[in-house]
Amino acid sequence: MSERCKEIFENAYQRAYMLLDGEGLSEAERIEIETHLEECGPCLERVGVEREVISVVITRLRGATPCPEALKQRIFSLLEDA
Amino acid sequence: MADPSPVDLSTADKQRFQRDALPLLDSLYAGALRMTRNPADAEDLVQETMMRAYRSFDRFEEGTNLKAWLFRIMTNAYINTYRKKQREPKKVSHDEIEDFDLYRELKEHDPQWDATPENIVLANLVDSDILEAIDDLPEQFRLAVVLSDVEGFSYAEMAEIMDVPLGTVMSRLHRGRKALQKRLWQVARDRGIVKGESPRS
Repeated sequence: MSERCKEIFENAYQRAYMLLDGEGLSEAERIEIETHLEECGPCLERVGVEREVISVVITRLRGATPCPEALKQRIFSLLEDA
Repeated sequence: MADPSPVDLSTADKQRFQRDALPLLDSLYAGALRMTRNPADAEDLVQETMMRAYRSFDRFEEGTNLKAWLFRIMTNAYINTYRKKQREPKKVSHDEIEDFDLYRELKEHDPQWDATPENIVLANLVDSDILEAIDDLPEQFRLAVVLSDVEGFSYAEMAEIMDVPLGTVMSRLHRGRKALQKRLWQVARDRGIVKGESPRS
C-alpha cells in the first residue's frame, strides 16, 4: 500500500465510509478520493469490500423483522382510548 | 404503561399522529429489536415509545423528521429503562477493532481473490448469522450501525437521535462496521466458509 493510499484510506479510513454514505465530504475531497480510486485497483477493491459489508446489512436486515400484528392492534386501541 | 394524565391533543393532532406515526411501527420495531435483542422487550419499548410520543406530540415541530423524533424518544426510553436489565454486551477493545481489516484477511486467505460481489464470503452467510453478529456488537457501535444501515438515517439525524456530536457518530459507525466485519469473518470461519485461524487481535 503506497503512502498515497494510506493517506486516503488508512490514516483517515473514515473517508471511505463518508464516500460510501455520500455524506460529510467536501466536493474537493470526494473528487480527490474518486480520482485515486480510478487509478488504484487495490483501493477500489478495498472500498468494494466495505460497500459489500454495508449492503449485506441493508439487504438482509431492512424489512426483515416487521412489527407483529398484535402489537400494532394493541397500539391502535391504546391511541384510540388515550 | 398507564399514564393517568389525559392526552391533551387537538383532534387534528391526534389524527395527524395516527396518520404519520403508525406507518413507522415496522421501522421502530426493527430498531427496538436490535436495541433490546429480545422480542418481548422490543414490543414493550415500541409501545412505550408510541405512548410517550403521543403525549408529547404537541411539542413535535411539524415539517421536521418524525421518524428521527420517534427514534430519539425510543433511544432515551431504551437507555433509561431497558438497558438496565440487559446483559452486558461483550467488551471489544477499540484497538482490536481498528486493527481488523477484512480486505487484508480476504487477500491473505486467497491472493487470487477479487472483490466481485459473488466472491465476498458474506454472501454465503445466512440472515441469522448477520443478526447475531450485529447483536454481539457493543451497544454504542450496534446502535450506530442499526441507525445508519438498517434504518437509513443520515449522520446528522443520528447525532440528534444519539445526542452526540457528528464526529462521535462517524467514529462509532466506523468502529461498529469494523467490529461487524470482524464478527462476520469469525462466523464465516466457524461455518467453514473460509478456512484458517482466528483474525488477529
